[in-house]
Amino acid sequence: MDPVLAEIYALVVPSLPYVAGAYALLWIALVVYIGMTYSRVGRLEKEIAVLEESLERRGVSA
Amino acid sequence: MLEVGATLNRNTLVLSMLVLGGVLTTAGFIMAFFFTPPVLGPAITNEAGRIIGYQPLFSQKIFYFHVPVALSSFLVFFFTAYYGVRFLMTKDRRYDTRAKVATEVTLMFVILTMATGILWTRFEWGRWWVWEPRLTTYFIMTLLVIAYFVLRNSIEDEERRATYAAVFGIIAFIDAPISFAITRVIPSSVHPVVLRSGGGLTGSQLVALLIGLFGMLMIAYAIYHTRMREELVHDRIEAVKAALEG
Repeated sequence: MDPVLAEIYALVVPSLPYVAGAYALLWIALVVYIGMTYSRVGRLEKEIAVLEESLERRGVSA
Repeated sequence: MLEVGATLNRNTLVLSMLVLGGVLTTAGFIMAFFFTPPVLGPAITNEAGRIIGYQPLFSQKIFYFHVPVALSSFLVFFFTAYYGVRFLMTKDRRYDTRAKVATEVTLMFVILTMATGILWTRFEWGRWWVWEPRLTTYFIMTLLVIAYFVLRNSIEDEERRATYAAVFGIIAFIDAPISFAITRVIPSSVHPVVLRSGGGLTGSQLVALLIGLFGMLMIAYAIYHTRMREELVHDRIEAVKAALEG
């Protein structure tokens, strides 16, 4: 192998799983957390719309 | 009608901040990999044991997303204490909800700081964990954030829960400045002092870090706001249900 390339790979390859792992972990956790929060908010907003509609039909104020 | 419009505008702003935060953190990450000079690590010695050079550390790139997450965790934790003080002053339940949501975001960021830090420590120091001052004080902060939720879940009465949580949140936050400043107070620590005057970081390193930090703070704000929106809708549902039942 080319000695310069061998030196570059020797520097990068051993730490690559840690760097990639840390970055992937960060983004996967954030995306999943944000996704779950938005999904819950969407579900709750649908629920409140239905409840408010039935409240309006009954003519009751919350 | 005006209120609905303002809420929609605010939600659009939050979504924009979330997207911009993602773009900025990615830009900071790309800059860290392609434009910032490498940090030199352990010395390369010859057969006689004399230093003939230093090798660049690829693992140091973790710094550009580990530090923004850690600094964001300190800043968001500040709001736990701030809203705790506001609650104790006013007894307004909204401040308790804000403090709870801020602590939840802090927990998320604290876990991510620990996870990215542990991976970095494993490669650079050869161990998964080192009981050095910064890591120890940050670990204490993690336990305090977890304890905040244990405390909340152990008290039934809403008023008492909010008061105890506010006091605990204020006391727990004291650990954050200690953890931030500990590497300056105990210079023998193996954890580097990064943010300092006089050559801590080069210009491009600092720019990459700041871009990542601003991005991460935007993401933190967007998460906080979205969780607050969830809490408010949840409260509204409870109120409507009560009205329907009554």
